[in-house]
Amino acid sequence: MSTGVLVITGAGGVGKTTLSAALAVTAARRGLRTCVITVDPARRLADALGIDSLGNHPTEVGEQPGLAAAMLDVTASWEAMVHRHADPETAERLLADPFFRALADRFPAAQAYAAGEQMAEHIESHRWDLLVVDTPPAGGGLDFYTAPGRMKEVIGGRLLRWLTGASIPGRRALYKVTARPALKLADTVLGGPLLEEIAVFLMDLRSLYDGLSRRASAIELHLQRATSIVVATAEPTPLREARRFFEELEATAGRPETVVFNKQLPAGWTDTTSLRSPDLAQDVRLAARENLSNWASEVRRQHDVKQEFAARYKLNLVDVPWAEDAPTSVDALADLVAGSVDLLRHLPTAT
Amino acid sequence: MLDRKLTFISGKGGVGKSAVTASLALLAARRGSKVLVVGMVEGIGAASHLGTRELAYAPRRIRSGIDALAVNRTDALDEYFRLQLHVPRAAPTKVLSRALSVLAETAPGVREIVTIGKPVFELWQANYDLVLVDAPPLGQLFSYLRAPNTIAELVPAGPIRNQAGRMRKALLDLGTTSLILVTTPDELPVLETKEAINELIAEPVIDLAGVVTNRVLPPLGLSEDGIATLPQGSHRDAAEHHHAVQAHQETWLPQVSAGPRLPYLFGLHTAGEVAEQLADIWDELI
Repeated sequence: MSTGVLVITGAGGVGKTTLSAALAVTAARRGLRTCVITVDPARRLADALGIDSLGNHPTEVGEQPGLAAAMLDVTASWEAMVHRHADPETAERLLADPFFRALADRFPAAQAYAAGEQMAEHIESHRWDLLVVDTPPAGGGLDFYTAPGRMKEVIGGRLLRWLTGASIPGRRALYKVTARPALKLADTVLGGPLLEEIAVFLMDLRSLYDGLSRRASAIELHLQRATSIVVATAEPTPLREARRFFEELEATAGRPETVVFNKQLPAGWTDTTSLRSPDLAQDVRLAARENLSNWASEVRRQHDVKQEFAARYKLNLVDVPWAEDAPTSVDALADLVAGSVDLLRHLPTAT
Repeated sequence: MLDRKLTFISGKGGVGKSAVTASLALLAARRGSKVLVVGMVEGIGAASHLGTRELAYAPRRIRSGIDALAVNRTDALDEYFRLQLHVPRAAPTKVLSRALSVLAETAPGVREIVTIGKPVFELWQANYDLVLVDAPPLGQLFSYLRAPNTIAELVPAGPIRNQAGRMRKALLDLGTTSLILVTTPDELPVLETKEAINELIAEPVIDLAGVVTNRVLPPLGLSEDGIATLPQGSHRDAAEHHHAVQAHQETWLPQVSAGPRLPYLFGLHTAGEVAEQLADIWDELI
């Protein structure tokens, strides 16, 4: 079974996770075997999907036949990668290493890489017609695209080569900082056997290189083939992030063609003529005039910035309307995107 | 809100931290202070609200009374090494600085302390009355504020540890340093803000000066009955929208402490307009 892949990207707080879920529900209703991987969903959205804790293994969504959902578990992803690519002894040592924990917990690219790894895992399982991937917000969405390359760099031994000199010893036991007087001195000044510890860690990490770099390249390929959709709102920060995304994303990375503006107000609100209606009571007119004209100018502003954005980056522009309540059921999720025809055409057709 | 020399401004992404930072800088400058705005976030941040697109690592005058800079890791690492670390003069400089950049990429806390070291360093330099920091969003904030403690666990002795100790003291100095959290009256920002406040109580790494609630809708001025008299159509829809959002905000407003509230600004096109208007509002608030 060939799997269609929809990558939903964008800055934090714009509603990526909700839209990912909404598209996945819609796809399942069209008869596609669908899986959605969510990143840090809000409590009520997780409830709507019936997933109650972190877990990379997808759970069937009880309320929606044909749909399964998972919640990205970064730590578990890294542990699984280590177990897969390293021998048991090295794996155990790596997982106990404070540098490894720092890499897996704090490095923003580690979360982005884990999401890509899960994406590849699901594509290669051939279990789904459609995989919807909600992405981590780091770097305004960019990190998800750059993480495989950066991971290859770190593990590829750039740092290690410097620490060990030109050649990398085959076995970690062979490496001693004491053999390099300048580094020994650096360690003394810096205040700990830091460099030696890092070198040993990097050597262990390097044993993952072959497996991990092959996987990282596979993730890059999957990304190029996927359909990517950028989500933003017309607020300044998400717009700024979305601009940066398009300015900095390399052309080869599977560039999105569609931008979704979420939480949009109806365009008709710019019309203020009815406020001048003589039938309107004087006090109503006075009370409401300022705020309602404000909404009109807000809608005009949103319209202007969206058009400018779509034109500048040559994108299809899709509006998803503002919803009063966060969706708490699969029906509400489907309703959210029901009117956004230009968005739904990205779903593959059921065979 | 502006009585400490070094003030960090953070909040959940998208609540308007950069705009609030810029507006406080404008206010302080109007009142005669010499202000430095430090951008610690990716991208242009507060500077775009102050009418500039490019920032460098060295402070640059961007308007009357306000200088600004952006922290980048390469320059910060260099300055940390040359000016903050106090390594013995006889040490092998080249190897050490290269070793540091390896540390910054691999060791927990090093990259963070180098970045957060910049605004603290500017405080020590004492060239400004006020240093305002457009800080990383809540999700990353604590890995920066905790960096001195992380280093202390990792490095048993030496210049890195000593510098971390000085940083820790500066961040905890109630007379000079504080944190302002920005939120909006919505579920996720409020819940994350409360979570951050609890973390600060559990591990007091900096003093919280207050919580600013941004984008608070003004009253519509119409009751539900009044809305019902509006003709069917866009205005009635907009009035109902306003009413619903405001009711939603009312449920979240009391959940954060009674700090300053800034209104929702309608229809402003440029980041500069937003900061100027917020500065006018601050002028009446504090």
